[in-house]
Amino acid sequence: MTSLEIKQIDKHYGAVQALHDVSLSIKKGEFVTLLGPSGSGKTTLLKILAGFEPVTSGTVTMDGRDITALSPEKRNFGLVFQGYALFPHMSVYDNIAYPLRVRRQSKSQIDERVRSLLELVQLRPYANRRPQELSGGQQQRVALARALVFKPDVLLLDEPMSALDKKLRHDLQEELRDIHKTLGTTFINVTHDQEEAMHMSDRIAIMDHGRIQQYDTAHTLYRHPASRFVAEFVGKSNVFKGEIRGSGPDATFHSANFDMPVGDVNETSSTMMIRPEDAEITTAPPLDGRVTLPAKVVSSTYSGDRALYTLTLKDGGPFIAYGAARSGVHPDGAEIFVSFAAKDTIALA
Amino acid sequence: MSRFIYWTSVVLCSGFLILPLLMVWPLAFNPSSFLTYPMEGFTFDWFVKVMTEPGWTRPMWNSLKVACGVTVLSLIIGGLAAMGVMMTRRGTQIVLSALFVSPLVVPSVVVAVAFAYAFGRVGLGGGYFSLVLAHSIVATPLVFLSIITSLRGLDPNLDLAGASMGASRRYRFFTITLPLTAPGFAAGAVFAFITSFDEVVLALFLADPGSMTLPIALFAGLRDRLEPTIVVVAVLLSLVSMLFLMLLSYLQKRNAAPRS
Repeated sequence: MTSLEIKQIDKHYGAVQALHDVSLSIKKGEFVTLLGPSGSGKTTLLKILAGFEPVTSGTVTMDGRDITALSPEKRNFGLVFQGYALFPHMSVYDNIAYPLRVRRQSKSQIDERVRSLLELVQLRPYANRRPQELSGGQQQRVALARALVFKPDVLLLDEPMSALDKKLRHDLQEELRDIHKTLGTTFINVTHDQEEAMHMSDRIAIMDHGRIQQYDTAHTLYRHPASRFVAEFVGKSNVFKGEIRGSGPDATFHSANFDMPVGDVNETSSTMMIRPEDAEITTAPPLDGRVTLPAKVVSSTYSGDRALYTLTLKDGGPFIAYGAARSGVHPDGAEIFVSFAAKDTIALA
Repeated sequence: MSRFIYWTSVVLCSGFLILPLLMVWPLAFNPSSFLTYPMEGFTFDWFVKVMTEPGWTRPMWNSLKVACGVTVLSLIIGGLAAMGVMMTRRGTQIVLSALFVSPLVVPSVVVAVAFAYAFGRVGLGGGYFSLVLAHSIVATPLVFLSIITSLRGLDPNLDLAGASMGASRRYRFFTITLPLTAPGFAAGAVFAFITSFDEVVLALFLADPGSMTLPIALFAGLRDRLEPTIVVVAVLLSLVSMLFLMLLSYLQKRNAAPRS
């Protein structure tokens, strides 16, 4: 059941084209993230959805109604801004009550709704404070409450956690996911943080240079990236360019570092990728049919549960791989072997 | 050494500005009808005379009426102009701002002659409305500058947030913009009032005998009746200006206070 339908949107700012033929289908109650680097067009798309920017061409449809040219006041979408945009001359209570007062609801109705939202974001004792007196994380929750209090059809979030520290971001990501599950409102989040996108979203639309590169669940994006850009943007990767030699069951993928039989996995791409967690580091070659490359440890990052190794291969190219850290970490300069199975490799377009 | 220079310059400059006033003010309380020292005593009689004689009360009342009218008109024009300019692109903003501020650059005599001629042609005469219109033209630039400075300090996302929550432009102005930029509007109002109340050139050229303002009466009095009532009016004008300037200073400090 589609809630929001974005069809073939182009957006020009003078001579610059910010969006190229962008199309997305968002189901009611879904948590969708627009993920991409700066300048990818994700914020432009959000502004168009909010009604702050007109499209050059294309349509936005909500439950069948064309809302492309609808003013923001009439859209009934909640918006959480990057800087929160809380009204400094009003208390937390009055900030959250604002959209209800605009809708001329009765005092008791307003009071009931505001209190329930304060409860939802766990800020009940702060009702009478001014926004300036709150921490960043608290302000973000007020902004969230204010955007949800009037039961919007869609909640739009513009990088709401970019100003917060890592621990706070993790906590708020969980809270946001819980709130989404509780309320069932359609959420559209914009971020450049791929971890955040993976933690919270039902589906992620990866954007680059104004185009949607891939739109799928986090799992599909990770295991079946459509392009090298997506493969490298979502998670860490080792990418190899090469050529397919031969065909059928004897086909091999030939690259500067290794040859790999691809016949039985049916891969035809000239670029292939292996995730660092699919490669194993050993001190001696395992000789079990996997592709094995001799390498030297350049550095390692110890995270307690495991270590991430940065290696150089014989031809000087880089490789990153995870290794277990229970019995210690391979020292810098150590000569080791890294192995991976052909079936774990991912062909890129 | 720099403190010495600082304090010496402060004393000298203030002295230069204030001394002539201090030399003249006491004469307002001098019982003698001649503007000479030494003082013959101390009296408030001249103040009473100014407050009761129609020759003075009528011009005072006219000045007050005109200044109030000017304040309202230039607040509306200057305020709307400032808000409109804020919505345009950077390049357009510079051009429009220059245009709205231009009356300040033109000499008052030129403006006065232009208005005297134009109003005469249209048949507007020298009454209340022509004075309010003329004064508003020279007061609006100051109102515009004061309000637009205030608006520039406002986070544009606040207005967008209001819009996303369903508030109309009018509702957003009264609930978001105005409360946060009130000092700018208030300072603008004070600017407009002082400008009009003290203005003499335009008034001289435009006012008919019935709409004579206080500065005109003062000017005429200097020629015809050189008595302490002149000084009383000068003292009153100075006091009013000083009070308003203090109010302005207070409002500008509030305007500059951090808001986010």
